Amino acid sequence: MKGSRLRLMLLLILVLALSAVGVRAQEEQVLVVGHRESTDFYDPARGYTQTTGIVLRSVYETLVTFPDADTSAIVPALATDWSVSEDGLTWTLNLRSDAVFSSGSPVTAEDVAFSFNRVKNVGGSPAGSPAVANMASATAVDADTVEITLNAVDPAFLVGLTSNWFAVSEAAVVRANGGTDAADAATTDVAGDYLDQTSAGSGPYMLESWDKTVQTVLVRNPNYVGTAPYFDRIIIQNLEPAAQQAALAAGEIDIALDLTSDQMAGFNADEISIYRGPGNLIHFILMNNDPAIGGPVSNPLVQQAVRLALDYDGYKTLWGGVQPAANLAIGIAGALPESAALSRDVEAARALMAEAGYADGFEITMDYWDTTFQGVNLNTNAQKIAADLAEIGITVNLSPGEIGPKLEAYRAGTQAFGLWFWGPDINDPSDFLAFLPGGKVATERAKWPVEGVAQDVLDMIEAARSELDEARRLELYGDLQLFNQQNSPFAPFNQPDIQTAFRADLQGYVWHPVWLVNLSLLSRSM
Amino acid sequence: MPFHLYFLRRLFFVIPTLLGITALAFIIANAIPADPVVANLPQSVLNNKEVVDAFRAKWGLDRPPIEQYFTYLGNLLQGDLGTSIRSRNPVAQDLAAFFPATFELATYGIFFGIFFGVGFGVISAIWRNSIIDYVLRTFSLIGVSFPVFLLALVGLSIFYVQLGWVGGPGRLSVRLPEPPTITGWFTVDALLSGQWNIFTNAFSRIILPSLILASFVSGIIARITRSSLLNVLSLDYVRTARSKGLRERGAIWRHALPNAMIPVVTVIGLSYSNLLTGAVLTEQIFAWPGIGRYMFRASTSYDFPAIMGGSMVIAAIYVGVNFVVDILYYFLDPRIRFA
Repeated sequence: MKGSRLRLMLLLILVLALSAVGVRAQEEQVLVVGHRESTDFYDPARGYTQTTGIVLRSVYETLVTFPDADTSAIVPALATDWSVSEDGLTWTLNLRSDAVFSSGSPVTAEDVAFSFNRVKNVGGSPAGSPAVANMASATAVDADTVEITLNAVDPAFLVGLTSNWFAVSEAAVVRANGGTDAADAATTDVAGDYLDQTSAGSGPYMLESWDKTVQTVLVRNPNYVGTAPYFDRIIIQNLEPAAQQAALAAGEIDIALDLTSDQMAGFNADEISIYRGPGNLIHFILMNNDPAIGGPVSNPLVQQAVRLALDYDGYKTLWGGVQPAANLAIGIAGALPESAALSRDVEAARALMAEAGYADGFEITMDYWDTTFQGVNLNTNAQKIAADLAEIGITVNLSPGEIGPKLEAYRAGTQAFGLWFWGPDINDPSDFLAFLPGGKVATERAKWPVEGVAQDVLDMIEAARSELDEARRLELYGDLQLFNQQNSPFAPFNQPDIQTAFRADLQGYVWHPVWLVNLSLLSRSM
Repeated sequence: MPFHLYFLRRLFFVIPTLLGITALAFIIANAIPADPVVANLPQSVLNNKEVVDAFRAKWGLDRPPIEQYFTYLGNLLQGDLGTSIRSRNPVAQDLAAFFPATFELATYGIFFGIFFGVGFGVISAIWRNSIIDYVLRTFSLIGVSFPVFLLALVGLSIFYVQLGWVGGPGRLSVRLPEPPTITGWFTVDALLSGQWNIFTNAFSRIILPSLILASFVSGIIARITRSSLLNVLSLDYVRTARSKGLRERGAIWRHALPNAMIPVVTVIGLSYSNLLTGAVLTEQIFAWPGIGRYMFRASTSYDFPAIMGGSMVIAAIYVGVNFVVDILYYFLDPRIRFA
């Protein structure tokens, strides 16, 4: 009798325990994001792509950041306050004392210095960003103070510090897994594989796994000192847009990041909400300035004719958004407003073609990545460009292709006529320097030489690069945009709206121009 | 010819075929006017000679192509397919991870393809030129000619979103744990480990992509089965069988169909090889983590070790399946046995 009662009690305990496990499993809050994965690395010293940025923002923290919904101010994150030396070359930042990594160890200035020197010396894609390239060194002054020395004055340095590549990782963990911040880190650092599968940050989530081309899983960081996020687990599932559309409608995923307007059209508004807002990608045509490569489009008169021939309103009808005045996204301080942008003038374009000696037109091949990116189909844009330019006698043969070969030719500067888009590396007008004479895109990709550019323009570029007076700096960038609008080998034609579809019970979705979406802000209504 | 001689003869042809394919894949991979350095290193370090040289040395790109090829062959004989530039994993490990998904999908696909293809073909042949023949032939034609990606999108929209009869993209709901790996087939592993809910979820997800793959395969099989069976049914020995008083069903199933299956088996073999080597579009749309998806990613990033390794596996599958088909001929075609 006694034995059977004991067995009954044990059975009861077992049932209760199992129910508790069941309830806990049921209560786990999971967010599933459908996204066409573009991850290159999850190592902050190496990763640079869109998916990488979304994940790193949830897993690591930076010293300073932007507000949740905009870029109106620089606000403290791991740093509480900061100052710059009189010569503008040395920045000193004080760290908050309560921040800890997911391991529970405190975040120290030594971790910051290690992370910053490592990103510079590993030489991954982030090392090419202006803020990293301009950083001479980072040093821990004491446990809570870090000093960063620059090679040249950079008015946008703090904005640069908000980027994911200035994420702070735990030095001891990274070192233990083959990481180094030494000068030869480009060939000796082997922590990339480790950081692709797990994380060493202090953000609200930890990277649990990355099943390449399948999914990325984040779990809540129990040691996060900020407001705990709502979701216990986030799964970013690698899905093509068509699959995202179906899975969102069926309720299997919560957010679809890559749908076009057409794909969103059929959703039931009671079940699916759609966020629409201004984006910051600029779609543009690159015309190679080297006559041996670009042929007729290397002629500045033809370049201006192309700009005047484009049906700018038509692209806005297709994708919404605005028409940028130059290759500086409207929304970034200093960007000229849409009213300063060019208007279509087919007659003037034809006259320029005749003046350039191409009254009968010419034939050219346009290269582009065959894809849909952030809801914009590049094939559609390419077809419209061909139709627009046909009106001034230019026959455009379309050459869509995969990203690998197209990007290689673009980077090598061997593409004659390319359709591309550009997302700002930094939310600052200095991002525009890449499109000015001497800049990365202008020099390396469009073969636009500095020689031949008026000295006053070159002086203006140098002044804009280092001007500390903000009003004067923005004025200089305004003038440079007008210069590019008339003289550059670029034809920026659309800055489309961003649009994201998500389940209606999801709350807190905000698109951000720097990190796109902060997953830790999301929750589900009960 | 005795079976063992026939077997060895077929096996003998496998080796030079595989060698030829390695050479061909290597030549094609090297003939592409693309530089894996530019495709895989960030632009910020392309001017850093030390980094670029280290990358070339690491991936053997600094050696003459002929040396690269023989090194590759030597490693291949030891089962080493190299390391993927993109995933940074051994290619053999990557392929082993991606192949079970394709294997499972392809096998379901070929099963449905044979079931519907042979069934439709036999019915069409028996009731030649009847309404049912026309209907089934129309279905076969649609299956062969309809673009797979369109079928996939329409199928997802109707059967997954609207009706909810099947599961969505992926092998398994991301909210469910994967079954313990026994065979690599989620449906089988779930059953073997007694996880019924995982089996039903995995099965509901493989049904639609496999039926879509089967639509193309069954269309071809049905057409070949019909024409082959009609041809055999008109032969003298079938007429003799009928004149001996054999019932029509017996004449078809016992005498005509086995012989009619010889060309059908060839088509089944080729179709299965085709499915096993990855249906890129179907795998992309259904987020199926298989060989097709892996090779697509490898090709777009000039990941030569992955391209070579994947090509070898694809070639081995084709050669292997055709070898099995050749062996099946021995049993199906008496002319081989008695030659």
